[in-house]
Amino acid sequence: MIFRLFGLFTMHTPIRRCLQALTRQSQPTLSLFKDPLSLRLLSSAALLNHNISSPLLPIFTNSKPTSAFGQWHHGRYFSSSKQDDHIKEGGTHEIGDEDDDSDGDDDDDDDDYDEEEGDYEDEDDDTVAVSSRKKVYTEEEKEAEAEAIGYKVVGPLQKNDNVFKPYEPAFAVVQIGSHQFKVSNGDSIFTERLKFCEVNDKLILNKVLLLGSPSQTIVGRPIVPDGAVHAVVEEHALDAKVIIFKKKRRKNYRRTKGHRQELTKLRITNIEGVEKPLNELVEKPSKSAKKEREKVAVSA
Amino acid sequence: MALRGVWQLKKLVVSFSDWGGSSRGIRAFMESHLPAFKEANPQLEVDTEMIRGQHPHLKAFYKNHNDRVVCVKNMDPEEILLHATRLRNALGRKVIKLRTRHVTKHPSVQGTWTTALKY
Repeated sequence: MIFRLFGLFTMHTPIRRCLQALTRQSQPTLSLFKDPLSLRLLSSAALLNHNISSPLLPIFTNSKPTSAFGQWHHGRYFSSSKQDDHIKEGGTHEIGDEDDDSDGDDDDDDDDYDEEEGDYEDEDDDTVAVSSRKKVYTEEEKEAEAEAIGYKVVGPLQKNDNVFKPYEPAFAVVQIGSHQFKVSNGDSIFTERLKFCEVNDKLILNKVLLLGSPSQTIVGRPIVPDGAVHAVVEEHALDAKVIIFKKKRRKNYRRTKGHRQELTKLRITNIEGVEKPLNELVEKPSKSAKKEREKVAVSA
Repeated sequence: MALRGVWQLKKLVVSFSDWGGSSRGIRAFMESHLPAFKEANPQLEVDTEMIRGQHPHLKAFYKNHNDRVVCVKNMDPEEILLHATRLRNALGRKVIKLRTRHVTKHPSVQGTWTTALKY
């Protein structure tokens, strides 16, 4: 007994770290471990209080069995097969018992580092599906937040309303994700795939940077707050295949990779926030339309 | 896949073989996912066809008289559903590299800029 305690005192950093883990998780009352001496005293007192069964690992036995092994078991690191990940939840206790025989110091180090990683790995393993998109947005609030980041709001699906108006002479500079487009009524735009909308969905693009018409121009700082651009999702499609070929000459290195980008085609239906000219213009811009374009009035 | 509100995919033909092992996924797809897919797309004409001795595939016929064929041999039902959804989501246009990401008929609203323009 005294020999083992003496051994504890001689081994410094791993024991201190694991003792910190012990005190942090299982014994919230013992929080004063500034001095190493006091720490050792506390730990020794704690160890003496808990009846230690296995001599090599005084920490892992009775105090916190589930938490330590729940974090420790990372099937991926030890086996290449993904089946072990699914066994993880059921088999934590079984494999935890096996770990008693291994070195305690290695477990201590990994526990401190892997506390946070374990949660993320659980989520990834639970949603292993055929397709690469695994995350399931269960709450609609999450979808709304993600849309706000992508500067689009999904409206209801298409019904029997006439959204496709004839051309109106008004344009807007709208930002979707990181790309900006100068759009007008009836244009079509290819953007990166927008996640939360289906085909024939109505969208409202609310990040509008500039609005313009033959009589008025509104410059946003950086966004025009009242500006809105209505669009309809036309298709979600894959772009043509691009072959990414890498070669280093005379080094026997050659790689070929195919890539198809997922795109969404939007058709712009309406631009709100600018005053549009009342008289309907013909297809070809006549001279009167050019004369209307006077010095632009900038209003923010 | 809806040009101005009109769905572009007219017909989807699901071809499978009842004996071959490569059709196992599509046979499971026809039992599990295909009825839901049909109900979700009432405008779409979905046919099932048995072809013996060949690998299974999905044929899509579009309104611009284009057709696309996707071979679904040895695929899981979820993958086949993904391919079917992609065919439904796409227009029938040819798969070539995009020239521009912005297609418009009226490039200028306030008049095209020239060097002679005075504000």
